[in-house]
Amino acid sequence: MVTIFYAEPELVIGLNRKILFLNPNDLQIFKEIELSKDLTTCGLKSADEPPPAANDTNETTITSDEKAAAAASGNAGGAVVEVSIQQVCYSPDRQFLALTTAGQKALLLYKSRPEHAKLLSVRSLARASSALAFASDSSSVLVADKTGDCYQYDCCDVEATPRMLFGHLSIVYDILWTPDQGHIITCDRDDKIRVTNYPATYDIHSYCLGHKEFVSSLGLLQERDLISVSGDKTLRVWNYIEGKQLLEHELPAPAVRLQMDALEGGKRYQLAILFYDHSDALGLYDLERSADQSWSVVSERFVRADAGSWNFSNFAIADNRIYVAGATDERLSLRVYNRNDGEAATSVPAGWLDMVHEQFSEDVCIPEDLSVWFKKRYDNISEYMERKKRRIEDKQQKC
Amino acid sequence: MVTTNHEVQAGAATAAVASLPQKRYYRQRAHSNPIADHSFNYPARPEDVDWRALYPRISLGQEVQFADIGCGYGGFLVTLGEMFPEKFSIGMEIRVKVSDYVIDRISALRLRHEGAFQNIACLRTNAMKYLPNYFRKGQLEKMFFLYPDPHFKRCKHKWRIINQALLSEYAYVLRSGGLVYTMTDVEDLHKWIVTHMTEHPLYERLGDDEAAQDPITPKLYQSSEEGAKVVRNKGEHFLAIFRRI
Repeated sequence: MVTIFYAEPELVIGLNRKILFLNPNDLQIFKEIELSKDLTTCGLKSADEPPPAANDTNETTITSDEKAAAAASGNAGGAVVEVSIQQVCYSPDRQFLALTTAGQKALLLYKSRPEHAKLLSVRSLARASSALAFASDSSSVLVADKTGDCYQYDCCDVEATPRMLFGHLSIVYDILWTPDQGHIITCDRDDKIRVTNYPATYDIHSYCLGHKEFVSSLGLLQERDLISVSGDKTLRVWNYIEGKQLLEHELPAPAVRLQMDALEGGKRYQLAILFYDHSDALGLYDLERSADQSWSVVSERFVRADAGSWNFSNFAIADNRIYVAGATDERLSLRVYNRNDGEAATSVPAGWLDMVHEQFSEDVCIPEDLSVWFKKRYDNISEYMERKKRRIEDKQQKC
Repeated sequence: MVTTNHEVQAGAATAAVASLPQKRYYRQRAHSNPIADHSFNYPARPEDVDWRALYPRISLGQEVQFADIGCGYGGFLVTLGEMFPEKFSIGMEIRVKVSDYVIDRISALRLRHEGAFQNIACLRTNAMKYLPNYFRKGQLEKMFFLYPDPHFKRCKHKWRIINQALLSEYAYVLRSGGLVYTMTDVEDLHKWIVTHMTEHPLYERLGDDEAAQDPITPKLYQSSEEGAKVVRNKGEHFLAIFRRI
């Protein structure tokens, strides 16, 4: 899974165990994080691994030494999954960097400095994470896991037990924490956007309902206004306090990621939306609030980004460029396009892309399979109804 | 029991009247995975629900206030309909055959008793996932969780209909002062329910006296099929009622 985002002045790219913090205008790598192959060597408590089953008789045939050897060689029939980075996120004050990993599931917290990042803590996660967000005061970080549970981890007291805040019944794809920290907004695979009060997280403030497929991404516009994109091929704007839909705009394809820029704070935004399986990779939408407070899409443009000829799953926008990340021959492939005309960008410094690809040349890169986000509807009714119909017909004939 | 009376009448009724469904055609195992995708058609929002299709005589401004979650074969739902003729009650059941039984049963009851049973209906749905799709904030006055699947295995505790995360969702659809009725014959599950509901800041448990005085309480012991079975087997029941604060 490739992570990519822009946090001025850094373009951050993460893959497997490595994160690069790049200068997009220069062949300069600001800093780099490389995770250990075994996170227990940097503080992950192995006690957090699932306890051995007491009555599992198969266990007795394998000695612990053998298991350790298998783990070290990493080829125990595919049982050992390599550590790989899932989500990466800066705290709003840029003092912290948080990342989550799969393989050994953990939350890593770093003190961020311009030239390097200092690891502060490694905390184990019960399940793989699906979304990550900091509080606006940077004092804690939220992690949503694949089963929909959302936990809060303290940034100062790293020994503190995480607090389970609330749970969804399906995977959470995005979390927003409002700047006033009064609400946590989450969206899930079951078409829902949920607005939870904070700190009283046991109290659901509202739901923003209307989407008909997974809700993949959220963005805050201004006070009380929220934007969402979904697999149902719409983008919608909500008053999240009232759970009321303010705008619905059709998209040409299911939306899997959203990046947003305030062009004119509170009034005009540019949205960049990554599409699923469409002839254009991205759509750029200008969203504007008129004098009567209503929102409308005032312009839309599409960026082809060679869609159809390669696999991509993520992107970032930095100034006038769009960075699309994907894979070619199981290696990271990054392509850059102009934001204004969608053409291949020519302003990227010579050798910059080669440098990035070189940095990840040893890393296997398999794009995330986003098709699993869609619900698989299986029919468990027709057969029953057919049998029932026959039964009733038989009975009528006998009568 | 009222339900039984109808079934006795069913035997005496003429063939011209729709017969009540026979349970043997609707048997289904008790467990269902509430997390998996199913082919449910569910409304995106409460405004989108076609209540008229469920309650043909419901008028504008009337709405469902009682929900029997996991209503099983609908015995208690029928009782609710009779006890509270002014209230609309919905039974929610995830199992295909079981919900179909309740739907057929209600249709038959409506046919035989002109004008009656217009205030109950059954939906095949996953209440763990779709409650907010059907009910707006604070809509429900009473919710019933009678003989829920205990999901004994620890790894399946998230499948339990009462769990910490879902309690917030129930609190969302319940109005302040609304009541949650829980009944089980599994003592461990009862303890689990009481622990989680008591810990949750939005619920308080009714005292024994208050619970005993609730006119619904005696019905809970007889009305559901599971309950009747437990009564026959002289097993223990564990009742707990909670108020939404």
